[in-house]
Amino acid sequence: MPGSPPLIEARDLTKRFGGIVAVSGLNFAVQQGELIGLIGPNGSGKTTTINLLTGHVTPASGHITLRGRSARGLAPSEFATLRVGRTFQITQLFSRMTVLENMLVPGLARPHSHKPAATATARRHLEFLGLAALEKLQAKNLSGGQQKLLELGRALMLDPEILFLDEPFAGVNPFLRDEIIVLVRKLHADGRTFVIVDHDIEALQRLVHRMVVMSRGEKIADGTVAEVRVNHEVLRAYAGV
Amino acid sequence: MTDYLLIQALNGLVIGVIYAVIAAGLTVIFSILKIVNFAHGEVYMMGGYFAYFAISLVGIPPLPAVLVAMMLSFAMSVLIERTLLKPLYSPTTERKGDYGILITFGISIFLRALALIIYGPYPLRPPSFWPGVLVVGGLIMTWDRVFAGGAGVAMLIALVLFMNHTPWGEALNAVSQSRESAAIVGINDQRFYMLAFGLGGALAGGAGALVGPIYSLSPSMGLLPDTQAFAIVILGGMGSVAGSIIAGLMIGVSESMFVALFPDPSRSLTYAQAFSLLILMLVLLIRPTGLLGRAHVAMD
Amino acid sequence: MRTLAFGAVVVFGAFALAFPFLVNGYWLSVGVLAMFYAIVAASWALLAGYAGQFSFGHMAFVSLGAYTSGLLVKWFDIPIPLGMLAGVLMCGVVGSGIGFVCLRMRGPYLALFTVAFSEVLRIVIVSENEVTGGSGGLEVTPLFHARTDTPYYYLGLALLLGSLAIMQFLVTSRWGLFFRSIRENEDAAAASGVKVVRFRILAFAITSSFAGLAGGFYGHYIGILTPDIGSVDQMGLVVAMAVIGGTESIVAAMIGALGLEFLVEALRSYGQWRLVLFGALLLLTIRFARNGLLALAWQQVMRLGSRRRTRSIGQEAG
Repeated sequence: MPGSPPLIEARDLTKRFGGIVAVSGLNFAVQQGELIGLIGPNGSGKTTTINLLTGHVTPASGHITLRGRSARGLAPSEFATLRVGRTFQITQLFSRMTVLENMLVPGLARPHSHKPAATATARRHLEFLGLAALEKLQAKNLSGGQQKLLELGRALMLDPEILFLDEPFAGVNPFLRDEIIVLVRKLHADGRTFVIVDHDIEALQRLVHRMVVMSRGEKIADGTVAEVRVNHEVLRAYAGV
Repeated sequence: MTDYLLIQALNGLVIGVIYAVIAAGLTVIFSILKIVNFAHGEVYMMGGYFAYFAISLVGIPPLPAVLVAMMLSFAMSVLIERTLLKPLYSPTTERKGDYGILITFGISIFLRALALIIYGPYPLRPPSFWPGVLVVGGLIMTWDRVFAGGAGVAMLIALVLFMNHTPWGEALNAVSQSRESAAIVGINDQRFYMLAFGLGGALAGGAGALVGPIYSLSPSMGLLPDTQAFAIVILGGMGSVAGSIIAGLMIGVSESMFVALFPDPSRSLTYAQAFSLLILMLVLLIRPTGLLGRAHVAMD
Repeated sequence: MRTLAFGAVVVFGAFALAFPFLVNGYWLSVGVLAMFYAIVAASWALLAGYAGQFSFGHMAFVSLGAYTSGLLVKWFDIPIPLGMLAGVLMCGVVGSGIGFVCLRMRGPYLALFTVAFSEVLRIVIVSENEVTGGSGGLEVTPLFHARTDTPYYYLGLALLLGSLAIMQFLVTSRWGLFFRSIRENEDAAAASGVKVVRFRILAFAITSSFAGLAGGFYGHYIGILTPDIGSVDQMGLVVAMAVIGGTESIVAAMIGALGLEFLVEALRSYGQWRLVLFGALLLLTIRFARNGLLALAWQQVMRLGSRRRTRSIGQEAG
């Protein structure tokens, strides 16, 4: 949508860990309705970018705006309340709580939520993800793939306008990968915006419209899948030069 | 007056060396087993009693009794490690952090109760290592303190030499840097955990044995040195034995000066106990991730 | 299974109500102390087991509540319930402070900090003996002027049941979910919209208040209040009660407290060996039955039940 402010935007964002610059002068805007892939070699700052844009890490300098307003200094729980959802590189579940309880935590953390409605919504999402039968199981007893889906479901309970997925395809078998792609497409068609970090470039190319490439904390390419594929900078970054 | 302050400062140095030894032991345990050992003070306490009974029951002279105490402390620590700490290395143990806290807290409770039964609640004073005092100019110090300081320094030097110049010590060093890479290199022996916990305990026990003639023994004598040791380890930074030594000396001296300069002499002794506790609380407030100090979020 | 549990509650309840008439004065006083420890252990279980905040400073709040109430009543002659309320509020405020200050501390560092705090408080109480009576003790006005401990017992029981009701309500509410989510995974909880800061502070504020309530009750019962009640060894006893009972269940911790307190007195003839015994029991429980002995017993009962069922099915089929 031309003219309207980006849904979420990073301007000149920088983050240091000790002496290492994880993210340097990042400019990255996400419009509503986009499906973006964020790729780059290891250590390029992809996960840090997600952490910055969801409040898990505070920037050393730069601006973050959410729907046009400054989001700098907001806590992760505030981002969540503002309907920014995320998953983690290593699945972070509430291991000793049941699948349903895992869903109810974000469900009931939302202001003005009630248990019956939240439970119904949770069950609906679980159905969508194919986890409905596992409702009463403890999260730690799920398979790796099921856990990944549950984490997605938990993020969905925020009714997120934008979802950051951190390596959803990592260590996932081809069937589950295809299933995740189908789920993301459906959610995107419903109007949700996605930024997906992963190393599985093939899967992303099938899924996303726009590709952003990072290397050593900087954004080195930003365009359509086709454009990025032939970008010299990108090839060089991956070749390790 | 300045002589008095100087003597206090010197006493502080001696006690600082003792703290450093205890802290070094704690550092070894933490950097290898990755747990905060709440029972460390009780091993220190036991070491003191081991020495006392080695002298009074078996007739071992005071100086070798310190070594006996260290060996017994080592053995006791290894026993504890084998029976109670094994779950820390098992992949099936959940919430290892909580386990470590609870089990070491439990061990401290148990050892204190055991000490109360076996040794009784009244303070015991082992015989001096060397009777009399050393007089240098206007400065006086009991030989016990001199010996304690000297032996403590010797222990620290021995530790550093061990860690840097013997194969076991270097392996310990490697494991403390990174368990994973040590495993890759082939160092994946549970014997290292035994060694580390035993070594830490031996140091604590040795410190207790040195301190016995100076401050006398009681079952609860380990509580405060434990917190002091934690403050030192955190202050001295991240498993650095050198850092622990410096921090130990600093805390020992400042604690002595605190007692000497406290305006209300009737309260100075009791509040002196609070000194190291307050330091610990302060250190935890400023460096809350304490010993690890690493960022929780992955960098990529 | 349900009817069995209900039956047990009824029997237990009847016994608890009739208790003062079933035992002599000595055991009645044990019962009063058992009520006290049950509240302390249950609230500690709520903080450590349920919310995952392993604080070893809990007894400091018991002490704080007791001394606050005792001193206020002594100096200002206010009615005891008001004094106890002041104790509760004091603990709530200080507890919130501790919770706030510990926000960036996790696991063992939180434990260390709270243990240090607890000892500092004890040292202050001992040192300022003109105000607090120090190690010699503080005379605290008793709640009741009765010849027996019976009124204390019933008050203790009422306080215990009331505390239990409130804690159970919390645990089954959404707050209970949030506490557990923080225990399980703080980062995931934050990413799910849980206001981690608020709930960590709340956990401390609430449980410290219960400790303060128990402390006030204890002070006005025991008559002579000493700083020992805030010692690390008392904390160890409470930890043992909660862990042996079961830290992740308020009721289990409470039963652990009741059981252990009576056991302590029953084994009185063994003198100091009791403490060694409890220490050993604590270690064994942590090592082999982490969810507590009650959970272990429950598992065994369930296993027996299912074995009986399959056997009877086999008999029917065969």
